[in-house]
Amino acid sequence: MTTAMIASLGPEIPHELLAATGQYTGPLGWRIDRDFPRAAQWLESKFPLWALSIVEDWADGAMDHLETVVFSRADDSAQRLYYYLCELQARGLVAGPRPLILDIARIGRASSEARCIEAVRQLAGELGVGDAALVAAIGAANAAAPQAANQGEGAVCLLAGTHPPDRRLHATVEAAGWQAAGETLGEVWSRSDAAVEDYASDPCAALGRRLHGAATGTRGFQDRGAEIVARARAAGAAAVVLWYSEEDEAEVWHLPAQKRALADAGLPTLVLTRRDWRCNDGVVSEIVGFLTEQGA
Amino acid sequence: MSTAAAPTGQRMRKTLSCTAAANAYQKQFGLDLKRRVVDEGEPFAIVQADTPHEIFHAMDIPIITNQWWSAYISAKQLSGRYFQVMADQGYPENSCKYCSLGLACTLANDPATAPWGGLPKPTVLVARLTCDCIQHVFGQWASAMDTEFFPMEAPAWEHKDGQWFAHSNRDWEEIYQPDRIALMVREMRDLIALLENRTGRTFDEAKFQHLMEQINVQEGHIWKANQALARARPCPVSIGEQMSNTMIPQWHRGSEWAVAHAKRFRDEVMDLIAQGHGAASDERIRLMWIGAGVWHDPGFYQALEEKLGAVFVWSMYMPFAGPQYIRELKDKPFEALASRVCSMNETLHLPPWMNGWMASEAERCGLDAAVVLLPPDNRLSQSGTKLTALSLEQAGVPVLMIDADMVDAKNWDHDRMVGMVAEFLHQRGLA
Repeated sequence: MTTAMIASLGPEIPHELLAATGQYTGPLGWRIDRDFPRAAQWLESKFPLWALSIVEDWADGAMDHLETVVFSRADDSAQRLYYYLCELQARGLVAGPRPLILDIARIGRASSEARCIEAVRQLAGELGVGDAALVAAIGAANAAAPQAANQGEGAVCLLAGTHPPDRRLHATVEAAGWQAAGETLGEVWSRSDAAVEDYASDPCAALGRRLHGAATGTRGFQDRGAEIVARARAAGAAAVVLWYSEEDEAEVWHLPAQKRALADAGLPTLVLTRRDWRCNDGVVSEIVGFLTEQGA
Repeated sequence: MSTAAAPTGQRMRKTLSCTAAANAYQKQFGLDLKRRVVDEGEPFAIVQADTPHEIFHAMDIPIITNQWWSAYISAKQLSGRYFQVMADQGYPENSCKYCSLGLACTLANDPATAPWGGLPKPTVLVARLTCDCIQHVFGQWASAMDTEFFPMEAPAWEHKDGQWFAHSNRDWEEIYQPDRIALMVREMRDLIALLENRTGRTFDEAKFQHLMEQINVQEGHIWKANQALARARPCPVSIGEQMSNTMIPQWHRGSEWAVAHAKRFRDEVMDLIAQGHGAASDERIRLMWIGAGVWHDPGFYQALEEKLGAVFVWSMYMPFAGPQYIRELKDKPFEALASRVCSMNETLHLPPWMNGWMASEAERCGLDAAVVLLPPDNRLSQSGTKLTALSLEQAGVPVLMIDADMVDAKNWDHDRMVGMVAEFLHQRGLA
């Protein structure tokens, strides 16, 4: 007997809810160092490479072991992929798991909070997760101690801007004798932002409140200038690399504000915009050159 | 017949007398709007096209639509200058241009060259969060103007009906989902409260009800004209005139002038059809234009009429009036309005709504081929185009995709673009 498995795609997924199914395999991954002949027929140029990788794998049957994939509304590419894949399935061009979408609403009004709570409730219903199982899963997640970052040797460089696809930028920083701070896209999509509070009586509402109120994410309304300085200080960074992919259309709008904030904070910053997600654009030498100038 | 100079030097031929009337009205409206907003300091709002303008009309609060303002700036050939300002301030050059031209104009802070000397501080900016750049652009624009941004959600849409257009006038609750409609109604109520609080003006429910009824009348005229155009051979009205006579009244939807103009347009269209008039002298190829209008080169659309008999007879603006604007009110005008607005963008940019509608339109209007605008730096405008092209090709409609931007003339070469269309038509055996 096989077990129906569930995966997710996109940010701000309530992992506790999916874990409560007992069938959650985590976020989908990607392999970007290849061509995407089928996905390129259907996806336009502003989609990031991870999106092409997901669709290529989906079309190749690599997702067929999954029963359901939960897409997040909190990322434009993820939500558009949901519609594209529903359409491709409806037209018989791909098979694979059932796509579901979690309608995360982030505007700071009561109507959006209510929408977010209702979306969590609906997803719980779709996945057959009852309150008791959800309370247990939230309790387990809250109890899990956050993993302490490895404290290595050398000064710290914060990688920020677009979340990179993997750790190849980090490796570049480390090869220059620095420690790299900053998460990859996969790491961001794998974690929950904060513990869920006051969840015993209505865990769906508690999860919905956390999703709605998070002060992070590309669709969050936080002050990015203050945020980048706070992150740099929390990481003990002596330098910052602001790296934005060609397809970034959200965080990059805050580049001028972030540059100003970092300059005011006295943090040397290298700005790299419109970059190749595969890093085949000379970025390695640029970062090494910058960090060498700073001195490790 | 008259001609109008376009910014690139190409000309757009006009055959309807109502087109001149619409343009004259819009020109006067622009002057009045400037007087009210700039000279007299009335409260006003900057809004996206897919927001509930009806709320503002019912409260007599002037609005400046971001897309209209962008087109206005672009038509004055200021887009290149303002995009350079954005670049100078550290924004990457591939940022979404259609959304951000107004912000760029504000950031340039140059009253000497800005249209109207630049906009004064609005009461509020309003936008639906249909793609990830919008909240950032509007948030920063509001900040730069020292005012407030009122975002509206663009919630997920799970009821996927590819034939939505066939029954959206009547079955809008089912098609657009009751929960999505209810969310937008709550947001509209919050917006009204904000506007009443900030401007001292009150929302008049009776006026709003009347407005909604009149919009149905207005869009009914447009829709009737469009149905007649779909059947007419040859097509008597150019795509540019279809746009002008649909969009200008639509900016003023429900007003006495807009309803009367829509009727006048319908009547002129009917007259031309009865006369057997053709926009081109020898219509042989009927073309579909998918995307926003190329505001900086309106003459593009007519460039191949005489040479190849290739006539752009379809763009989204006019046929959209029927399925997306007309609503049976069912004594629920707020919900009806929400259903009009809450998926305005999605139906034009996401499968299955976009491709379902456009493939159906190609058949309804007897179209031979489609040209799709694919702005390289605008995800929203790109969205859904490849799957739509696939649907059209499967329906036997050849598709050409053009990489160009609707407001940025930098990568647009009139002769090259016209040549591409001509070559495509030759290659696909249509010319």
